[in-house]
Amino acid sequence: MRIEKAMLVFKKDWREIRRNWQVILPIVVVPLMISVFLPVVLTVIPSLAATPGTSVSGFEALMQNLPSHVQEQLAGMTEMQVMIYVMALYFFAPFFLIIPLMASSVIASDSFAGEKERKTIEALLATPISDGELFLGKTLVSFIPSMAVTIISFVIYSIVFDLLAFSIFNGALLLPTLDWLLLIFALAPTVALASIGLTVMVSAKVKGFREAQQISAVLLIPVLALVFGQVTGAIIFGPIVISALIGIFAVIDFAIFRIGVKMFKREEILSKLA
Amino acid sequence: MAIIEVEGLTKTFGSHVAVDRLNFEVEEGEVFGLLGPNGAGKTTTVRMLACLISASGGSAKVGGHKIGENPLEVRQTVGILTESPSLYERLTAYENMDFFAEAYNLLDPQEKAVRIRELLEFFDLWERRNDKVAGFSKGMKQKLAIARALVHKPPVLFLDEPTAGLDPEAAKEVRDLMEMLSRREKHTILLCTHHLEDAEKLCDRVMMISRGKSVVVGTPDELRERIAGSPTVQITLKKLNSEIIEAVKKVNQVEQVNADESASTLTVTLDDAQSGTPEVVRKIVEANGLVLGVNILRPSLEEAYLKLIKEEQK
Repeated sequence: MRIEKAMLVFKKDWREIRRNWQVILPIVVVPLMISVFLPVVLTVIPSLAATPGTSVSGFEALMQNLPSHVQEQLAGMTEMQVMIYVMALYFFAPFFLIIPLMASSVIASDSFAGEKERKTIEALLATPISDGELFLGKTLVSFIPSMAVTIISFVIYSIVFDLLAFSIFNGALLLPTLDWLLLIFALAPTVALASIGLTVMVSAKVKGFREAQQISAVLLIPVLALVFGQVTGAIIFGPIVISALIGIFAVIDFAIFRIGVKMFKREEILSKLA
Repeated sequence: MAIIEVEGLTKTFGSHVAVDRLNFEVEEGEVFGLLGPNGAGKTTTVRMLACLISASGGSAKVGGHKIGENPLEVRQTVGILTESPSLYERLTAYENMDFFAEAYNLLDPQEKAVRIRELLEFFDLWERRNDKVAGFSKGMKQKLAIARALVHKPPVLFLDEPTAGLDPEAAKEVRDLMEMLSRREKHTILLCTHHLEDAEKLCDRVMMISRGKSVVVGTPDELRERIAGSPTVQITLKKLNSEIIEAVKKVNQVEQVNADESASTLTVTLDDAQSGTPEVVRKIVEANGLVLGVNILRPSLEEAYLKLIKEEQK
């Protein structure tokens, strides 16, 4: 496997993507919605205006399942501090697993299916770039931008909440924490790689981009389950849960890459040309 | 020395036999045409030889590499112009060339830049190098696609329908450029076409295929003679009479004489037009005929091709 060949495919695709606003727009808008718009609407505005939105009654189930040392910490806080603390550190955490998935979904679905639709795939398949290098290149072109926007979103999200917390927590900053660093820099990449790998596999198998995107939308379901699990308090994203998920997804990533390369058949791709 | 060796190459899709036990060899530097109607198996043959699809039977070597065993080496050996230009329309002409140069392991920046410039200048695209391909005409895209196929100086070039879909002017330009190129760079070219003009102008040898089977192989001249028959000689006289017709019929090499008295022309079929024509003209002169013109009419490759396709359909 020659990494430089995979990077060559990445560079070529990224050059094309960055000139296409239809692809760039969802990559930018979805993270902004999750990292700025939702926190501002659900937390910052109600807390600053001291509206009824400041109530913690909405996530009692989540609070009850927080680790005991966190609950002890919360006991000494005002209601507004509790709300901001829980929102910032726990409620929005799993949403950051959705960002790389949403951001990568368009690019990953387009990876091979788009080349088939635009009839550029045959010349690409005729090059002396191996199956593994092509598969990795197509994965990287979805992975690198989606992780970049996830990290940028995390930075913005941290700034938004720290600005708010600075006055409310008497100069203390809430983010980043170890859990969040693990989530953003280890769990989010492994979850993203699994989703991207599967979507790229689907993209190689189907005839067109829309088909690939419809099928890959199903991949959001397990991640949405994690989101609802956290919101309802069924799963709490603590260090143990995050580490366990990183391990599980790392194994899944490896398996998906191996299977993806094995299932990559140039002949089958050409037979699906429009 | 053969650079492409094909033995019993077969491809089936389910019960459909797309390519049926093809055998041929292409010598180094030769331009070899695969000529046949749509669906004859030309593209499937090229795809097997470029290791894009696997063969169901038989074997082939390209540049000394077996197609089933060394796909990456085979792909490095060939440059391919696919049925559609396969260009990235959001990238510029230069960026397209640059990507494929590196994909084909032309990695030295200076060597790469020189080669890209050389090809873009040759195909008259250098001034448009920084324009996105989306804005190019069909002819320009086709020229760029051929330039792309040549970027790594491949010993073997596969050109699949290089003039398909082009207007006559663009088709002629592409054909002329390919002719110049095959002379200048001495690539071995496997040309798939159903355009007889391409085959006639560019190919040293042609294999006609129909329904996946090889029907006949030879130079364009040989195929014309073998399939459409010998050339005929058309003689125009000042005045034609029965005495002249009888005198021509008596020439040994003459097989058939058709006379058109109103136009004062004789159409004569001979064993060998080259050696028989002077004798026919002599006999006409001896019979007091006044010869205004002599034309040797060679059957076109098109006639040969159409005759062959008709026979195959029967």
